[in-house]
Amino acid sequence: MATLEIKDLHVEVTDEENQTAKEILKGVNLTMKTGEIHAIMGPNGTGKSTLSQTIMGQPSYHVTQGDILLNGESIVDMPVDERARKGLFLGMQYPAEIQGVTNAEFLRAAVNARRAKDDQISVMDFLKMLDKNLAILDMSEAMTERYLNEGFSGGEKKRNEILQLLMIQPSFALLDEIDSGLDIDALKVVSKGVNAMRGDNFGSMIITHYQRLLNYIVPDVVHIMMGGRIVKTGDASLAKRLEKEGYAGLRDDLDIDVALVDEN
Amino acid sequence: MDTMQTQTQAATAVQTAAQQHNEPSWLINKRLAALDQMADLPMPLVQRFNYRDWELMPGNLQWADSKRDLAQVADGPVQIVQVGQTTVRVNLPEKLQEQGVVLTDFFTAVKDYPDLVQEAFMTKAMKANENRLASYHTAYLNAGVFLYVPNNVVISEPIDIQLIQDNTLDQPLNSHVLVVAGRNTEVSVSQHLTTVGENANLANCLMEVIADENSHVTVATLDELGRKTMAYVERRAYAADNASVNWAVGFMNEGNTIGNFDTELNGVGSRADAKVIAITDHDQRMGVNTKITNRGKHTNGNILQRGVILEDSELVYNGIGDIIHGAAGSEAEQENRLLMMSSNAHGNANPILLIDENDVMAGHAASVGQVDEQQLYYLMSRGIRRETAERLVIRGFLGAVLSAIPAKAVRSQLVDIIERKLENGR
Ligand SMILES: Nc1ncnc2c1ncn2[C@@H]1O[C@H](COP(=O)(O)OP(=O)(O)OP(=O)(O)O)[C@@H](O)[C@H]1O
Ligand SMILES: [Mg+2]
Repeated sequence: MATLEIKDLHVEVTDEENQTAKEILKGVNLTMKTGEIHAIMGPNGTGKSTLSQTIMGQPSYHVTQGDILLNGESIVDMPVDERARKGLFLGMQYPAEIQGVTNAEFLRAAVNARRAKDDQISVMDFLKMLDKNLAILDMSEAMTERYLNEGFSGGEKKRNEILQLLMIQPSFALLDEIDSGLDIDALKVVSKGVNAMRGDNFGSMIITHYQRLLNYIVPDVVHIMMGGRIVKTGDASLAKRLEKEGYAGLRDDLDIDVALVDEN
Repeated sequence: MDTMQTQTQAATAVQTAAQQHNEPSWLINKRLAALDQMADLPMPLVQRFNYRDWELMPGNLQWADSKRDLAQVADGPVQIVQVGQTTVRVNLPEKLQEQGVVLTDFFTAVKDYPDLVQEAFMTKAMKANENRLASYHTAYLNAGVFLYVPNNVVISEPIDIQLIQDNTLDQPLNSHVLVVAGRNTEVSVSQHLTTVGENANLANCLMEVIADENSHVTVATLDELGRKTMAYVERRAYAADNASVNWAVGFMNEGNTIGNFDTELNGVGSRADAKVIAITDHDQRMGVNTKITNRGKHTNGNILQRGVILEDSELVYNGIGDIIHGAAGSEAEQENRLLMMSSNAHGNANPILLIDENDVMAGHAASVGQVDEQQLYYLMSRGIRRETAERLVIRGFLGAVLSAIPAKAVRSQLVDIIERKLENGR
């Protein structure tokens, strides 16, 4: 069993324009174990992507206080690639496009990155694994010969993130709005991919705006984030309640003092 | 000694060496005329690149045999291998010989095919009086290859030209590859330039391609001259009506180098495609002009240059599109891109469009930048180490040119060289 602990996490970014620091996360606490699916919901601009990027190690996000522990070991000083090799995966809201590098070539490099130099995956085994996962995601083999994300539609990019998830088999997957821009069929396919990973050796933090995704990937725990903090934690029913009441209703219920983007 | 006297002495020396070599008088006269005008000609203009203090014209014409076993080159079906001035082997299948194809050492061709050589050598694709280095080349020419493809002959097998500069000796390599492709021909040439030995010498390597009507010539080069070689590499083509010339240049020389790649689209409907990849490292300096001139109507020129600059090196790409008045309905596109891999790297990507005709389409793109951190972050977030991620991004960046190289063997050799340079130069 693996654990991921976030303790009193404070995170700043530096504003490019006026070079001032801005605090985005203001003390996040959260513990998850493999075998569990956590959902994180919250209004726009509240820090959900920041949380996932900080866990992964995006260098623009500075931890000013608190800690992130993977299996009891602090990872805040580790570079992103090392965190990944230790078992973290981030399905990004906006995946990068890389010309000239085929999807297949990239996937193989990613799979091999976690294996010892003298134990690199054979072409046969790699293709077998790739075929199996393409089938789960209803993706054509042609997608793997295209350049990484280049010219992919929004939905294709999301599917490709999940393909990477299935190939890399991390302990923890942070999935940031993996459902945005997906049509209903694609939503089902992507959910099927994540559910295929479910089991004792896999945990996931799913960031979403929509209860609908959680009908397909049923979470064990739901967290609500507002103003850079987790303000409420509950079970799957919390997401349903949110769907009915909206963030304003929940905030007033909970008597939390934050401004929401849509309010003036 | 005044210059007049020096000049006369140089002429005498060249004349003596050429006579000793049993050259015909037309060639000797061409050498002497070139020598005579040398001092009055300008050096080739490479914008934004200063090479004023480079010594590119050592004046000695001598004949020397090189040791044949210096040429460690795998045997190929259609191939010529030269080390220094010595031709190690020529493989030309009987079928091609019967069709009239000629593949031979340049000076043998001067003797055996005097008319063909005289008609094409420095007459059409370029002239000896164009610049000082071209005239130097003509005067001091000491090695070369002649390839002749008669009208209507299609050669499917790539023709492999392996030239090895012999730096165990103390002399420059002034090599001329002359390719004459007749009407309705198709031929693909791969040229590999390498160096053996540790001496410091000049390499002045020229190639002329004359592509007659409706011929299709592809040239892929792998330039790997050594670190102690200062190089001037000029490649020129002349395209007649409906001819096409495709260049893929892997400019991987290790020493200071000037590249001058220039195609004249003379004929109606002729086309050229020039792709160049270069990687520079250490304190190397490299300046490259890649030019296509649209002279004929409905001609089409396309330049694509990509380069990677490592350590303290410098790489300048000039892309030159020259559309002459009267070349109506022509197109000229170019893209010049450089990646700088260190803060001490110097790069310049300089598109130059000279347009003297209204009815044309022309476009250019240029960039000099670093590896995109967002891309690196994305790759690294999958566990890929920084060095590997950088190499993937760089290889992707060069991919547009790599994938255009027709010969698979050349392509994979080039990929290996690139990997090695990136490995060493970080
Ligand atoms: N790199 C950055 N530079 C400057 N500001 C940033 C940066 N990243 C995030 N922010 C700011 O931090 C706040 C939180 O952004 P974040 O992307 O984490 O929100 P989110 O909860 O994921 O929102 P959404 O639901 O819209 O995706 C926003 O105000 C955003 O503008
Ligand atoms: Mg977000």
